[in-house]
Amino acid sequence: MASTSDALYVSVGNIGTAPHQRPFTCTVSPVVLFAVLDQYLRRDEQQSKAIGALLGVRSDDGSEVEIRNSFGVIYTEESSEIVVDKEHYRNMYELHQRVNPEEVILGWYTSGTGLSPAISPIHSTFAPDTAPFHPIHVTFDTESLIKSDGLGVHAYTSAPVGFSSTSGDSIFLPVQCEIKYLDAERSGLDMLASAKSTETRSASLLSDMDHLEVAVNKLQEMLERISRYVDSVVEGKEKPNNAIGRYIMDTVSVVPKVDTTAFEKMFNSHLQDLLMVVYLANMTRTQLSITEKLNLLVPN
Amino acid sequence: MATSLPTPEPLKVVQIDGLVVLKIIKHCRESYPTDVTGQLLGLDDKGLLEVTNCFPFPLDGDDDTSAQYQLDMMRCLRAVNVDNNTVGWYRSAHLGNFVDANLIETQYSYQNSLSANSVVIIHDVSKSAAQSNLSLRAFRLQDAFMKAYEAKKFTTESLAQAKLSFSNIFEELPVKVHNSHLVTLMLHNLEMPTLDSSRLRTLSTFASSQKEQSVADEARPLAPNFDVLDLELDPFMQKNLEYLLDCSDLQQQEQNNYQYWQRSMAREQTKMQTWLTKRKQENVHRAQQGKPLLPEDEVNTLFKLPAEPSRLESMILSAQMHNFTKQLNQFAGPSLARLYSIQELQK
Repeated sequence: MASTSDALYVSVGNIGTAPHQRPFTCTVSPVVLFAVLDQYLRRDEQQSKAIGALLGVRSDDGSEVEIRNSFGVIYTEESSEIVVDKEHYRNMYELHQRVNPEEVILGWYTSGTGLSPAISPIHSTFAPDTAPFHPIHVTFDTESLIKSDGLGVHAYTSAPVGFSSTSGDSIFLPVQCEIKYLDAERSGLDMLASAKSTETRSASLLSDMDHLEVAVNKLQEMLERISRYVDSVVEGKEKPNNAIGRYIMDTVSVVPKVDTTAFEKMFNSHLQDLLMVVYLANMTRTQLSITEKLNLLVPN
Repeated sequence: MATSLPTPEPLKVVQIDGLVVLKIIKHCRESYPTDVTGQLLGLDDKGLLEVTNCFPFPLDGDDDTSAQYQLDMMRCLRAVNVDNNTVGWYRSAHLGNFVDANLIETQYSYQNSLSANSVVIIHDVSKSAAQSNLSLRAFRLQDAFMKAYEAKKFTTESLAQAKLSFSNIFEELPVKVHNSHLVTLMLHNLEMPTLDSSRLRTLSTFASSQKEQSVADEARPLAPNFDVLDLELDPFMQKNLEYLLDCSDLQQQEQNNYQYWQRSMAREQTKMQTWLTKRKQENVHRAQQGKPLLPEDEVNTLFKLPAEPSRLESMILSAQMHNFTKQLNQFAGPSLARLYSIQELQK
């Protein structure tokens, strides 16, 4: 969900500013969400949060950042400082590069809330890989998942501030971050979402026919709701809302009005094509099963 | 092996974690149109194969580098507590053209070396996009076929004896998708409607409503997906038919091969027969004249019968064609339904 809280954005952006100083929006792919939650569930007993790197692509002018992939890194807590295992991080990054060379390190994530001064050193470990851009830091707040309705995903970018000599010191500015997914992922996500209401949190894959049935049922349900609403407004039980009325009118008028004879012709030709292909397919299938039977009958 | 492993229980269901589904989709979609493969990790437990994570294979690289890649990846993943157990592999496909010798060979090596319960998961990219219904199927080779493949003998007789044909090469397993609690929570949160009616602004024209689409879309990312109600069917059927035709051409070639072999067999056999009768005549002659008889079993060394070509290729092709026709049928069902519903709407 887009975080529209009043935030301190990196304000100025025009051709003059360098790409790494311009404001940008960042979109997160659902794979990353799932991966982070999975890593959070699998973390070791003593560790309180999961840390990892974010991979993705950046648009040419730096204004759109897409976070597409992620992997977890191991860290140790030494004297209240968190040290990331660099070798493991390097290895994982190289392995990922081999499969997908265009995904580069964009930043890192952590699973707890809140930013603390302790994270600056970690931030600086990732800084050299994202140069000249500043690494993006994303927090996935698992507590807020449980307590509130939001998703708990916040993204921050850093900007160096102050006169201190340690390189990691910077302020973290919130960045707009939203979840975006593409068509192919949509069907997968729908599949997973259907599993969320069952007792065992699992769902089996639907055949095409079932899928169509589900969609038609949903459509019917929606139409029922709308017609009930319209009825109740006409009877005066509910206040009419102009915006909704307008939407309904637009939706209904989208059905194209085609001349009946033209429609009949189109319909019939479409139907004939379909039936012919089905006939051919079935004929091939019978042929195949005949060969199968004949092969099995070969006398030895 | 010195000790025999306990035979695992036969697999009945494959349960895939939500994360794996999304990762497979992402990887396959990104590398369109090349086919890609990857490894599945998880646990095999009492007839239920749980797949909890996966990673993709790089396209380049030969056996050595990819084995090294596998080891490195597994090591790194184990450090973050991911299940370290390989349970199979996945592969992308387009409109069902995945049944080929490569698939069988790789799956055979997996089932042989790892465990009898390895599966291959096929994700069909174009079909998922066309129907907007996720196409994810799990297969494993059947035991009878495995034995025949080991022996590498695919003559017609051996197949008939083992009652093998194209339909029982693979065994398809039902696939279930499973989510952890935290992910379920997130999915619920994702669906919370945030737009209520008082905030809707009145639209003045139809054109402005198009621009306002995004407002409504943003509100409910998991809103019901009606892409499945699209009427477009030509590209899908066309491609399918094209593939089917290619397959039948190849099958035709295989048939020609087989017939050629049969004809040459027949020729050799007639030659053998004539030679044998001549020998017999000569022997009778010699018996009359009292000379030693010439051996008759030279016939086997003189005439070599050509070896029967392996029927494996034609079996694979038949399985592939079977798959295509099944797809066409499956596609036609919902299309008919869609057509008739449009007719109703028009009335």
